[in-house]
Amino acid sequence: MAEQILAPGPEIACIKLSKTYGYRDTEVQAVAPLSVTFQAGRMTALVGPSGCGKSTLLRMVAGLEQPSEGQIVAGDKSPQDMQRAGALAMAFQDASLLPWRSVRGNIALARRLARLPADPRAVDDMIARVGLAGFEKVRPAALSGGMRQRVAIARCLVTQPRVLLLDEPFGAVDELTRARLNAELPPLWRATATTSLLVTHSIREAVSLADRVIVFSSRPARIVGDIAIPSEARRDRSVHLALVEKVSAALSGGWDEAGRAENLAAQ
Amino acid sequence: MNSLIRPTFWPEGLSRNLLGVAVLLVLWHIAASALTGSYMLAGPTAVINYLIAEHALIGRALAVTLQNAAWGFLAGNLAAIGLALLVTLLPALRLPIGAVALVVFCLPLVATGPVLRVLYGPGPGPQITLAALSVYYTTFLPLLVGLRAAPGSWFDLITLYGRGAWSTFIHIRIMASLPYLMAGLQIAAPAAFLGAMVGEFTGADRGMGVLALRAMRGLDVDATWTLALVAALVSMIAYGAIGLLAAWLGTSKPDILLATAPAKTSGNVASVLRSVTFVLATIVLILISWWVAMEAFALSRFFAKRPDDIWRYLMTAPDASANRAVLWAASQATLVQVIPGYLAGLGVGAALAMLLMLRPGLSGAVLPVAIALRSVPIVTTAPLIVLALGRGAAGTITIVAVMTFFPALVACMQGLRQAPGQVLDVMRLYATTPLARLWYAQLPAMLPGFFAAARLSVPAAILAVTVAEWLATGRGLGALMAMTASTSDYNLLWSAIVVVTAGASIGYALVGGVERLILSRLAPEQLKP
Repeated sequence: MAEQILAPGPEIACIKLSKTYGYRDTEVQAVAPLSVTFQAGRMTALVGPSGCGKSTLLRMVAGLEQPSEGQIVAGDKSPQDMQRAGALAMAFQDASLLPWRSVRGNIALARRLARLPADPRAVDDMIARVGLAGFEKVRPAALSGGMRQRVAIARCLVTQPRVLLLDEPFGAVDELTRARLNAELPPLWRATATTSLLVTHSIREAVSLADRVIVFSSRPARIVGDIAIPSEARRDRSVHLALVEKVSAALSGGWDEAGRAENLAAQ
Repeated sequence: MNSLIRPTFWPEGLSRNLLGVAVLLVLWHIAASALTGSYMLAGPTAVINYLIAEHALIGRALAVTLQNAAWGFLAGNLAAIGLALLVTLLPALRLPIGAVALVVFCLPLVATGPVLRVLYGPGPGPQITLAALSVYYTTFLPLLVGLRAAPGSWFDLITLYGRGAWSTFIHIRIMASLPYLMAGLQIAAPAAFLGAMVGEFTGADRGMGVLALRAMRGLDVDATWTLALVAALVSMIAYGAIGLLAAWLGTSKPDILLATAPAKTSGNVASVLRSVTFVLATIVLILISWWVAMEAFALSRFFAKRPDDIWRYLMTAPDASANRAVLWAASQATLVQVIPGYLAGLGVGAALAMLLMLRPGLSGAVLPVAIALRSVPIVTTAPLIVLALGRGAAGTITIVAVMTFFPALVACMQGLRQAPGQVLDVMRLYATTPLARLWYAQLPAMLPGFFAAARLSVPAAILAVTVAEWLATGRGLGALMAMTASTSDYNLLWSAIVVVTAGASIGYALVGGVERLILSRLAPEQLKP
């Protein structure tokens, strides 16, 4: 596929964003008023204890949930504008493939939903790039967990999204597969200068993949660490380890502050 | 998602099922020999002899009934699919359409048959309509669940690309609902055949129902059992064929077939007021549809009564109190028999499902018997069961129980399997007994399925009791409806239809209320928020 030269993805600004859920009588604040900017064309990793609201933040950026207060602006667009422009893509923790469609069918569907012209060659090319050549006609049920996530990533990338949202996409696969996916897939989206957000539980994954790691406290999420990851972290092992330590420290600081023992126990 | 890929149709262990069939045949032969001369049960040899002697006659009748059942199956299921699609695309219509669909499903076939006969005149109209009426609700309900049953992230995917309800419908809902549609069609196939047979009881000139009615009236035991078994066999083949079709299409058995009753939000005045308003609006809607349908076809007031005719007959006419007394006496006679039978059927079904969970080895022997009992059309065997058990309460109660136990058994077995495997593994770690696992993990998982079956069995139980009263005992609402149909006392007939339909709808709502009450105590997570 002849790679189109695309402008970098937009800068995403979250302004005084908060999200409150009402469960009958009790109100749960998932995200406290939060202002943060994600740089254009870069990948930002969001780490934090389970249930701190980072997935909710991601879903609000995707326009899947409405903020209770505040707003999100991507470039000059709202999340809904980006949806309509076919500029978004998202990978979920389970691959969320439609079981009645083949690998090819699942990936082609994304282009169709995004109102892009059908392009069988682009689809097959993307299948080859995620390492699934030969599996075009296979249904998801016959694939392993790692292969399904490859399909999910291919489905994200085939529309050349300007904003890529990854919600623990490798959370459900084993360590070895995860390492391979982490090595093989990121170059695919790094090349396209997409603005990406990655929610992950793995500090090592965050440091390996992202340009910046934002650390959240337990619910309601506040930013307790904001760590830039220079590109040498991907080459120099000692730099990498030092950054992993730094993120870990920020994370445990956030816990101690909130005094939530169950998060420590869960880890 | 893996659960979507399970293979579906029934013959799981064919050899064990064959054993069950063999056991059934032996039991049948022994029972028939023991009852020789009592005009109750024809043995296997008598049935085969009759079949050989009358194969041409039965073949012709079967062809006619199959054709009527097929048209009714088609019409009823198309209506169900249309309604489900309408409700899915216009969710505001869900409650009113659901309520009217339920009330129409609760119409007693025993009485609508004769009325339809008068409306249509001779020909296959009533048979086809009754077949359609007996299938559409059991397809509509699972389909409605299926159209909503998909992981949230699939819907997110559609929203993510800025697409709306129509894309969700085309790309997700239709395919995701396919297993539910197939499950509904599978239940519908035997029901359509039964509906067509009841339709033929109401003065058709050809078909299995005509033969069966003649055999019953003449107490021709060989003919009755042969016809019943042919009908049963056809129903089982249709059931199996649709199961095979579903397997071939690659669909699987859906995890939860029927939605649980929606949870009551709260007991405050506003929500009670809203419920009352909704019920009143539904009643008004039904009365208006009734009146419009009669007026639109300009049907004669002599046999096509309007709501105001019934009001006059029961409330303002000089003999209104006498009319009410007749209806009340018949209703009491029916209630006394339908309630114990209904409860017994549900209880036996649930107990059997639990037994099979504790002793899985028995399923090969028990399930074929259960399926056979269910498939033998109740309308043809009702008089024989009554004959066997006497005209007292026992016969009718047994018929109602036979009609209700099978859906309960199937739903409970499905529910018991819903208990999360990891929870069971945790319990096994502590060396719990199977009984403890049943009580703590599997029984709560079973409850929603049990109640879904309990709700759907209300109309089925009423069909069973009215058929038994009509054909055998000569008491209660069933007999009243049959009698008034033949004496052209259409005021009383329509009043009985109103009473039965209202009673079935109230029963359905009551079971839903009990379900909410019990689930909110024992398994609140199973109720929809």
